[in-house]
Amino acid sequence: MARSPALRLVGRRLGAAVIVLWGVTLLTFIVMSTLPNDTAQTMLGLHATPAQVAALNKALGLNQPFWVRYWRWLVQALHGNLGTTLEGQSVNHELAIHLPVTLELLAYALVISVALAVVVAVLAARRPNGIADRISLSVSMIGLSASPLVVGIILVIVFAVQVGWFPVQSNGLGGGLGSFFVQGTLPAASLGFPLFAIYTRLLRADLVEQMQREDYIVTARAKGLSPWRVLIRHALRNSMFTLITVIGLNLGTLVSAAAIIEVLFSVPGVGSDLLTAIGNHDSALIEGIVFVFALITVAGNLAADLLYAVLDPRIRHGSTNS
Amino acid sequence: MSEEALLEVTDLRVAFAAGGQEISAVNGVSFSVRPGETLAVIGESGSGKTVSCRAIMGLLPSTAIVKGSARLRGTELIGLPEPELRRHRGAQMAMVFQDPARSLNPTMRIGQQIAEAVRTHRDVSKAEARAEAIELLRLVRMPLPERRFGEYPHQLSGGMRQRVVIAIALACKPKLLIADEATTALDVTTQAQIMELLLDLQDELDMALVMISHDLGLAASYASEVVVMYAGKIVEQAPAGQLFGARGAVRMRYTRALLDAIPDMERAAHTPLPVVAGRPPDLAALPPGCAFADRCAAAEDDCRETAPDLAEHVPGHRWACWHPCAAGDNSENGDIPS
Repeated sequence: MARSPALRLVGRRLGAAVIVLWGVTLLTFIVMSTLPNDTAQTMLGLHATPAQVAALNKALGLNQPFWVRYWRWLVQALHGNLGTTLEGQSVNHELAIHLPVTLELLAYALVISVALAVVVAVLAARRPNGIADRISLSVSMIGLSASPLVVGIILVIVFAVQVGWFPVQSNGLGGGLGSFFVQGTLPAASLGFPLFAIYTRLLRADLVEQMQREDYIVTARAKGLSPWRVLIRHALRNSMFTLITVIGLNLGTLVSAAAIIEVLFSVPGVGSDLLTAIGNHDSALIEGIVFVFALITVAGNLAADLLYAVLDPRIRHGSTNS
Repeated sequence: MSEEALLEVTDLRVAFAAGGQEISAVNGVSFSVRPGETLAVIGESGSGKTVSCRAIMGLLPSTAIVKGSARLRGTELIGLPEPELRRHRGAQMAMVFQDPARSLNPTMRIGQQIAEAVRTHRDVSKAEARAEAIELLRLVRMPLPERRFGEYPHQLSGGMRQRVVIAIALACKPKLLIADEATTALDVTTQAQIMELLLDLQDELDMALVMISHDLGLAASYASEVVVMYAGKIVEQAPAGQLFGARGAVRMRYTRALLDAIPDMERAAHTPLPVVAGRPPDLAALPPGCAFADRCAAAEDDCRETAPDLAEHVPGHRWACWHPCAAGDNSENGDIPS
């Protein structure tokens, strides 16, 4: 089945993903090398002599031309070694510790936002301009206008400081499922709320559109199906494709918001790591984390495309009749 | 109407509220259908034929205001609460739609779409519904029904899709089938096959068939009773034999214009096809007189002042015109398309 349309699609998307990832590494390198580079000075302190600085620069390989440094990094990276941090730790090791935390947080935020969005959008679409629709519109307008950072601070004030259900700072998501929910819910909710708002608005609009415009909905109603059944079994089934595409496209936003939210809640993930690394001008660590962020985004988009192909019979089988 | 009617529609009116004004799409339509009969409802786009039938099925959007009466075996359908109407929809009365490419759910197997119709009205297991769906596919002469059961709409041709739509409509052996331009989107040879299939099934299942179409030729070939609609009203109604028979007796100038607009093999080559001049009236601002007056060659002042009522001028033949055509003078070339 080498000629199946789904496989061809996978091939094309994989090719594009590799190019995107390579582009990200190059761009990050260009940005890092254009910034005033005082790594050696910072490490040695203000009283270091120019000779000492030059020596350290040479030891770190920072005195070499851009292309040489990039090439060396790229070859190493392709061998699976992302280099060494300024503190002498291997970047791989750093990622191995912090990345799982971030991934858990992202997955939790995504599950909350998508699950809630589907339920709320279906309730809202059942009666456009009805009470459920109006409430969901108001709530999601808040989510669309507020940044995750603002949402996070408000959630902390309400649920951590006032009500006291959750800790103000999470300090790690480990230690069992219960602890994960206690530590992770506020950060995940801050990340997920704006996404929930986007998904709800889009899915609701698409559902209403399907219900009002599509002839297959009339067929379903003409069978004598109940409105809920028409909505869930027929309209939602087709609207999910829009949702999947949007989830894929929004992954980048989610990942970048994670960096800020991790700092706010002291979640020891790669996001807060990245901000520390930028403060320290730790090129190797920045390169590594940005690369991982790009990888998550690209992989997420790829997964959305694949899911689309698996779920949509028109792509899965290819069109025999047009 | 003598025999007890299966469907009795009396003074049906449908208006849509749009932007502060009301648009009347159907203005007092009455007709009845006897069991096993074929009624053709003819008219150009916007004449209210589809809206009438969707009003009877309860399939109009909530912005529609429906008045009048439509009784199916004595049960009043207009104003019936949705959950109760749902029990009739798909069970007693069913509908086949115009565009089979759009009237099936693109992401659901066709077999499931049929089985769903079976299970909606009858308490059967999934396996039984599946067996029934395959039986229905066989009934609509679908080749290899077991294999087709698991296929998706995009894998079928237009004619096969329409067979699936018909299978869905027949899932509960309805007494009334409304075919809304069911063959319009298909190519000519497929059209004939689907029409024959519908008529065969009508015989087999003893259904009444309401055929909505803009095609008078189709009505002449298949219907027993013909209703011609214009601007939301019935303007002429007669048994098909009487209307299109050897001594054809079309009396409405609108019906005659529709007949003349059918291409004819006998017509000299490269002569322009007669068209009904002008455009249908604006439904939001219908004139006080006859709605067809502005497009009618025989229109006089009385037509623009008072609308003629639909009245039975000849036994069985009703028309609404002050200045009807002479009887026995069906069209310029005197031919009835078939």
